[in-house]
Amino acid sequence: MQAVAPEIITADGLGVRFRRNRGSRRSFKDLFSSKKRRKRAGEFWALRDVTFTVRPGEAIGVVGRNGQGKSTLLKLVAGVLLPDEGTVKVHGGVAPLIELTGGFAGDLTVRDNIHLTAGMHGLSRREIAERFDSIVEFAEARDVLDTPFKHLSSGMKVRVAFSVVSQLDEPVLLVDEVLAVGDKAFRNKCYQRIDQMLAEGRTLFLVSHSERDLRRFCTRALYLDGGRLKFDGPIEETLARYNKDHGTEG
Amino acid sequence: MAKTRQNSCVTSNRDRPAGHRAIALRSLRLLTVRDLKVRYSTSLLGYLWSILDPLLMSVIYWFIFTQLMSRSLGEAPYIVFLLSAMLPWVWFNGAVGDSSRAFLRDVKLVRSVSLPRWIWVARIVCSKGIEFLLSLPVLVLFAILTGAEANWLLVLYPLGVLLTGALVLGVGLILAPLVVFFRDLERATKLVLRVLFYASPVIYGANDLPQGFAFVAWANPLSGIFSLFRAGFFPDQLHWGLVAVSAGITCVILVVGIVVFKRSVGGVLKEL
Repeated sequence: MQAVAPEIITADGLGVRFRRNRGSRRSFKDLFSSKKRRKRAGEFWALRDVTFTVRPGEAIGVVGRNGQGKSTLLKLVAGVLLPDEGTVKVHGGVAPLIELTGGFAGDLTVRDNIHLTAGMHGLSRREIAERFDSIVEFAEARDVLDTPFKHLSSGMKVRVAFSVVSQLDEPVLLVDEVLAVGDKAFRNKCYQRIDQMLAEGRTLFLVSHSERDLRRFCTRALYLDGGRLKFDGPIEETLARYNKDHGTEG
Repeated sequence: MAKTRQNSCVTSNRDRPAGHRAIALRSLRLLTVRDLKVRYSTSLLGYLWSILDPLLMSVIYWFIFTQLMSRSLGEAPYIVFLLSAMLPWVWFNGAVGDSSRAFLRDVKLVRSVSLPRWIWVARIVCSKGIEFLLSLPVLVLFAILTGAEANWLLVLYPLGVLLTGALVLGVGLILAPLVVFFRDLERATKLVLRVLFYASPVIYGANDLPQGFAFVAWANPLSGIFSLFRAGFFPDQLHWGLVAVSAGITCVILVVGIVVFKRSVGGVLKEL
């Protein structure tokens, strides 16, 4: 029944540029000049002319070598980076698994942090109360609930963060390499959780270098090269092209 | 084994435009509470700190200007005179100082949540504002102890609070993004704030300025605002001309702040 649903993510001519070196001059005048397509000295396009649409329930992988704009693309979709040209529209919210532990305050307890982060991602107080137990249970953090966040082990931090973000209702899930952390048992748990979310009809956007992960979750993939969208198609075909372009091993 | 949870509804059609503002406001509240919690949970004296600073400053100036020298500035009771402007000054000073680090302090948070960006400034204005309100009992206490007479002009107090909030927000919106590009501004801000303290009618009243220096009061939006805060105890300090100019400058700063902020926020996010 979701087959006829319209696009959930629409990216149109997306482009963003960065400065190549921190030292390049920036003047107050820049603030008042309009955003033109013009490229200033010392700047480069990290991503340009990227156009694609995603339908609800699709699971999309993003492949490409380091520095080709994968994470940048994800950040644009997440809305934590603003494009210099083009637009990206997400119909509904996103649950970003990027910079996982970023939103957590070290001085506050795990309990406070869960409330805070879940709240900032749009859950109401009642919803948080309902889900609090399953969040804690998933992270296996029952014993450290009243410990300041900074005293947790780094693995535990990621666990807590993942279980909060994965409890959000948002229809789009963005995952950036975070699955590489945590011990094996927890990683399996994360995989299962993502599987479950996909089964619920959510949309997945996965950046990964692991072909196994990509094949496991995704049906379609975007191949970024030099900041441009080089190929957009079924996962196997995209991986084949990527491997052909970039040599020996996957 | 992961237990199956029952939140299997995918709420893709939660009406976002309306929900957006609600989420922004809720986040603002959460962040403000977080600021206060962090501040009060990590220090032993907690709440007392927000009182201690203005109180200590006031006592020092009270000592210098009434005990060491004979007071020719302001009005009696001088300690109430001092506190009535010192408390809002501490709000202004703290919020402007902090908003120069609005993005830098919570880099990771800013990078991971797609909230409207003005929240990072607004939350500082709010948390410092709440600390200000919480410090008001000190003023009340000293007013009672010294027998200062309150009058009906106390009704102007909320107007003062409103103007201070708007002014701080405006300055913060200008400062927060610019500091990301020009780190020097953070230190420059501290210097300017120190000068501004003496250029504002805190230890003196706007009327005390000598003839040739009246422009200092007119150019400084804080003088009108402080005159509102003082009017409730010292009706002679109320100067509607200054208040009007303050309100005007505040509006201009706020508008400039909004423009600068909108223009620069894209660059800020790249820079972080």
